[in-house]
Amino acid sequence: MRFMRLAAAGIAVGLLAAGCGGSSGDTAQAASCDPNANPLTVTFAAYSTPREVYGKIIPAFQAQWKEDHDDQQVIFQESYGGSTTQSQNVVNGFPADIVALSLAPDVDAIKDAGLITHDWTDAPDEGMVSSSVVAFDVRPGNPEGIADFNDLAAPGVEVLTPDPAQSGGARWNIVAAYGAALRGYAGNDKDDEAGAQELLKNIFSNVTVMDKSARDSIKNFESGNGDVAITYENEIRTAQDAGLEDEMVIPPSTVLIENPVAVVDKNAEQHCVEEVANAFVDYLHTPEVKDLYTSVGFLRSTDATEAQKGGDGFPAIKDLWTVDDLGGWDQIDTDVFGDDGAFTKAFEEAQG
Amino acid sequence: MVTSTAAMRSEVRRSRLARSGLIALALGYVALLLVAPVVGIVWSVIRGGIAEIGTTFARSDVIHAFYLTAIVAVQAVVITTVFGVIVAWVLARDRFAGRSIMNAVVELPLAVSPVIVGLMAVLLFGRGGWFEPFLAARGIQVIFAVPSMVLVTTFICIPFVIREVAPVLREIGTNEEDAARTLGASGFQTFVRVTLPNIRWGLLYGIALATARALGEIGAVLIVSGAIQGQTETATLYVLRALEERQEPSGFVVALALAAVSVAILGAIEIFKRNRERKEKTG
Amino acid sequence: MSLEATPRGGLAIPTNPRTRSALPPARIGLRVAAILYLAALIAVPLVAVVTTGFRDGFGSLSSAFATLGARQAIQLTIVTSLAAAVINAFFGTLLAYVLVRFRFPGRGFVSSIVDLPFALPTLVTGVMLVALYGPASPIGAWLAAHGVHVIFAPLGILLALLFVTLPFVVRTVLPVLLELDTAEEEAARVLGAGSWTTFRKVVLPALRPAIVGGSLLVFARALGEFGALVVVSGNITGKTLTAPVFIFQLTSQFRQPEAAAVSTVLFAMAFTLVLVTDRILHRRAPLW
Repeated sequence: MRFMRLAAAGIAVGLLAAGCGGSSGDTAQAASCDPNANPLTVTFAAYSTPREVYGKIIPAFQAQWKEDHDDQQVIFQESYGGSTTQSQNVVNGFPADIVALSLAPDVDAIKDAGLITHDWTDAPDEGMVSSSVVAFDVRPGNPEGIADFNDLAAPGVEVLTPDPAQSGGARWNIVAAYGAALRGYAGNDKDDEAGAQELLKNIFSNVTVMDKSARDSIKNFESGNGDVAITYENEIRTAQDAGLEDEMVIPPSTVLIENPVAVVDKNAEQHCVEEVANAFVDYLHTPEVKDLYTSVGFLRSTDATEAQKGGDGFPAIKDLWTVDDLGGWDQIDTDVFGDDGAFTKAFEEAQG
Repeated sequence: MVTSTAAMRSEVRRSRLARSGLIALALGYVALLLVAPVVGIVWSVIRGGIAEIGTTFARSDVIHAFYLTAIVAVQAVVITTVFGVIVAWVLARDRFAGRSIMNAVVELPLAVSPVIVGLMAVLLFGRGGWFEPFLAARGIQVIFAVPSMVLVTTFICIPFVIREVAPVLREIGTNEEDAARTLGASGFQTFVRVTLPNIRWGLLYGIALATARALGEIGAVLIVSGAIQGQTETATLYVLRALEERQEPSGFVVALALAAVSVAILGAIEIFKRNRERKEKTG
Repeated sequence: MSLEATPRGGLAIPTNPRTRSALPPARIGLRVAAILYLAALIAVPLVAVVTTGFRDGFGSLSSAFATLGARQAIQLTIVTSLAAAVINAFFGTLLAYVLVRFRFPGRGFVSSIVDLPFALPTLVTGVMLVALYGPASPIGAWLAAHGVHVIFAPLGILLALLFVTLPFVVRTVLPVLLELDTAEEEAARVLGAGSWTTFRKVVLPALRPAIVGGSLLVFARALGEFGALVVVSGNITGKTLTAPVFIFQLTSQFRQPEAAAVSTVLFAMAFTLVLVTDRILHRRAPLW
């Protein structure tokens, strides 16, 4: 009988805890709409690769804000995942106040949904905070002799690249291969679109798995699968800094990856954190943060000619170009990813 | 019929050999399949350093993850216990057409993969979902927030209490309850004073099973929560993230902690039950 | 029907066991509560999945199966689940037999540990396999050097499924073995049958429903496994992508109708198995 009373008491306590915990959990965002509340809570949604670097930047910002704002604490609730998935999640209601995504179209998708109401490109470096290039992660010693994109199309080579429907990095990889081919590299003739599509088809015939994010893809590679993973230069750098034996090969012609950050106005207004959110985005463009990005391999220059030269621990690249050289993302969305796009067609053919 | 003693002796030897062989095979399987991985993770945690345990549990995101796991589990278990007893009662005591359908429906969550449960929540509460316009108009956030996590965990836990309590209710019959009723006890009093004590082991075991299941939920919450660190990241989601961030040691620590809690809960109920049964036999 | 205490304080205990023990309004209230609870939490969501999946007939289903790797995912799921069912049918029966019929040191320990998978979160199962066989562990590295890949390979999937489903067959066979009357076996032995023949002709047929039922449960459970596989499988199309992970991918890609179509197929299969198993094991029948 005593046991029963104990059990009943336990359930009652549980109910109380649940009631309080549950409500405070789900109304935490909506409840406080006081910009002077302490602490403030900001929700930050990013793509999968910059976990470590934001793990350094955010505490630095929190410390500085606390100093400048009367000991006001800012709590960052971070979420990392495939860029396109994150973008779609925000469109579908994910309450992010700030988004740091892999490519501009993913931010534009949020703008098109009406959640970003300002021109986010009207910022230093057109809203971009970090940059990288598409590179290859190979086994120590590069046993397959990978040098350029056409080596990925060779028979018997197993390639890892993420899923373009979920990962921003995946789309950068495809654009890089396509663009390099069009520019006369990767064994293709200059401006030969059919050849570029053929290259994509052959690469994707060798793709054994398309993970949901760039981070998942490189982890899959590191656990022993595949001969080469197409990924960000900074992802390989992060792995090397963690003591792993990833080896980097940069193809002679590759694309300059530029990563945008923007405040999601509608959410930030709703949570009364616009001031701190905007301050954070501004902070990302300051010289100290730029130095931090550079030190971990996250920032060549956002100017292509400068970035091509290398320096600061970055190797030089023969031919570094941007999406503008292919006509910009709108053009690419049609030419490459559209219903009749080169990748769409190539992928269909690769499956058959 | 075996007559020669030599033949008998070799027959006995053969069967003893066979016996040992069978035991060895069975034990070998259990050792390789079950024991080895448990030893593996315990050894990995120890190898990562006991200090790692301390630092992991000091992290605010880990503390919050455990807290959130507990909150979600408690809510799911309370709901499925209260309503589970009601459904068990109806299944065991009530007679009406459609009882077999109800019984089948209770079994359904066991056949549904957790990812499908997550998909169901998205279809109902995600953008364009059945209930989304209604909720959005009232500013209620379900997906990417705790309510959706409670809902999916509840779905998954529904069968446990029912399946443990209903057979017990049926077995014990209504005699004692009827007796209490004739003595003037109200329905509620009868339930609390007569029925509950009789079903307590089935009930507790069902609650323990539901709790262990709720603590370990990953598939559905992965889909609906958004894994917002510090807000919708449960302990299991934290483990996933730790592995992705190449922080395997802290991921292993949290995984082991979750395992220990689940095993402790179920083990405790087992021990209590055996003790009581032993007391009832001797006392 | 009224029940009254006899004048001297004794009890008039009703002899009719079907006496209604609750007042009609309360009874109906309970019934309605039960129906609403199950309808809201189970029926409505499942209807949502089925209708979304088959909104445009079989269009979503066929486009889902046209996706690269979809057919292989279903195939891999069925093959690995089948393998798990067969292997655990054998070892589960063996374990049950050994636990019931033999005495040996550590018997109690083995009996408890067999239930361990029921207590463990499935994700932890996957993490344990990664800890033991992953590239960072000495065992994993040794195996990989000899060409045996566990993590992110079909072997890892099989090990995870075997772990998670081991208790099912043991738990269905053990009670039957316990209750089995050994008279028939003794008779067989007296008549000169060897142990193996006795087992094959006397014990096995009696255990068959339990073994089959347990195996079907294993199969149904393995079909839907996700937590243990999410860290172990690696989503390699055609090699380690399973149906539940495939559904997860479709959902993450916001292809809900296709995800819903594949989901309906998967849970229809699993649910049919659960119902069939209940019938075989005569378990739920006694409820009414």
